[in-house]
Amino acid sequence: MFAVATYVLKQKLAGRKRYPLVLMLEPLFRCNLACAGCGKIQYPAHVLKRQLSPEECFQAVEECGVPTVAIPGGEPLMHPQIKEIVEGLVARKKYIYLCTNALLLEEKLDLFKPSKYLSFSIHVDGEREHHDFSVCREGGYDLAIQGIRAAIARGFRVTTNTTLFDGADPNSVRRFFDEMMELGVEDMMLSPGYSYDKAPDQSHFLGRARSRRLFRAILSNRKPGWRFNNSSLYNEFLMGKRQFACTPWGMPTYNVFGWQKPCYLLQDGYADTFAELLAETEWANYGTESGNPKCANCMVHSGYEASAVDYAFGSFRGMFEMVAGFLKRHEDRDALALLNEPAKPVHSYNPLVQIKEAESTQA
Amino acid sequence: MSETAPTPALSPDDLEIVPGFEHEKLQGWMPDLGNEDELRGALEKAFDYRGDITITRKDGSQVEGYLFDRRLGRTLSDSLVRILPPNGPRVSIPYSDVAALSFSGRDSAAGKSWEAWVRKYWEKKAAGEAAAIEPEALD
Repeated sequence: MFAVATYVLKQKLAGRKRYPLVLMLEPLFRCNLACAGCGKIQYPAHVLKRQLSPEECFQAVEECGVPTVAIPGGEPLMHPQIKEIVEGLVARKKYIYLCTNALLLEEKLDLFKPSKYLSFSIHVDGEREHHDFSVCREGGYDLAIQGIRAAIARGFRVTTNTTLFDGADPNSVRRFFDEMMELGVEDMMLSPGYSYDKAPDQSHFLGRARSRRLFRAILSNRKPGWRFNNSSLYNEFLMGKRQFACTPWGMPTYNVFGWQKPCYLLQDGYADTFAELLAETEWANYGTESGNPKCANCMVHSGYEASAVDYAFGSFRGMFEMVAGFLKRHEDRDALALLNEPAKPVHSYNPLVQIKEAESTQA
Repeated sequence: MSETAPTPALSPDDLEIVPGFEHEKLQGWMPDLGNEDELRGALEKAFDYRGDITITRKDGSQVEGYLFDRRLGRTLSDSLVRILPPNGPRVSIPYSDVAALSFSGRDSAAGKSWEAWVRKYWEKKAAGEAAAIEPEALD
């Protein structure tokens, strides 16, 4: 937190209008899952076999100068030099979120040393049945939990990242939060799903109005023990309590093709350098407020978490609101009622809506 | 993509559901490139395609690979595509040098719709079997 705060204030004092906050470093697209909604793995085999070298990773980090690096993919634990990549970034004092589905985590833990700079960010999309359905692998949840337990036992920092799609059951998500906290997870990151350009075909997606209702139901009346890796202001944005414009340059993406234009989710071409990405991208063409239909339903952290952080560090008021937001429970009687409303999934045969009885309306 | 979310009549903030997308079946297609509009349109589809394409240059040489980038200029000679071949470094080709285009590689996401997964999940559950989608072998 202190490192990020210092970094953002330096950018502000330097008068930089556009600065990156987190590098999304994709060292490979290869994965050991084949999630049906994923737009990151739909490539010919020769592309899936490619990977960034450690030196290319370090060069990208140096180029953009961020304090924090998220390493998604693909599955980064499948990279044969992931040890060298992580060690090199730790040596550069970069805060790393190594995003993994954890299928290989337990067997790869020996490659790493616990460090304040390294967190495993485990992809878990909810309780067992929901997660397994989301990642298209029964048994995936149990392996992820096994990996979480092993990493925590060995002294590693462990967080979770959860993407919520159509049909997410807010009661189940709240039970999931309890479960992660009991496991000893440091904090949890949430984001709504997004329709990737190159994902397999899908007929409908959650619109913003429905996403906001879902997050309002989930995040209102929250339990004091829940810890989130989202900023309080981004959570309020998800709940419909705030508006932000997108900051597509806030979490730039580097992968085997180069610097992705304009953001982590859209692929509108590639730049060869970070400076070229900043200078040549037509930023006004992106973000919900631009009217670009590809951005219409996006509320994803890679565009809006950076907006929230920029707002927080832009004024004393923003800072105060962010700090105050961490203390709020967001008591909301109407949101409690939402928990008991039957979900109406877009996909009529989605089997996972409200698998279990709604939890008590007592938060 | 044949369909992306159309410009909504409502504000995006008021939308409950947004349309998804369905990709055109382009595998094997060899478009006519008779005029500039056809050429630009076909190369834009190639940019969205999830498999390899083959470009024949005006000198008869061919480049096959994944088209990962295109840069649009005012004229065909200052517009270009960038291709990653299966072996070797990336190749840039000006639009003005493209004689023919073929969607020669397999569409890597064809037939893998979300709806197909949901259907498979139910079928496996009904049969008392574990449901999963396995990643394809790369060799």
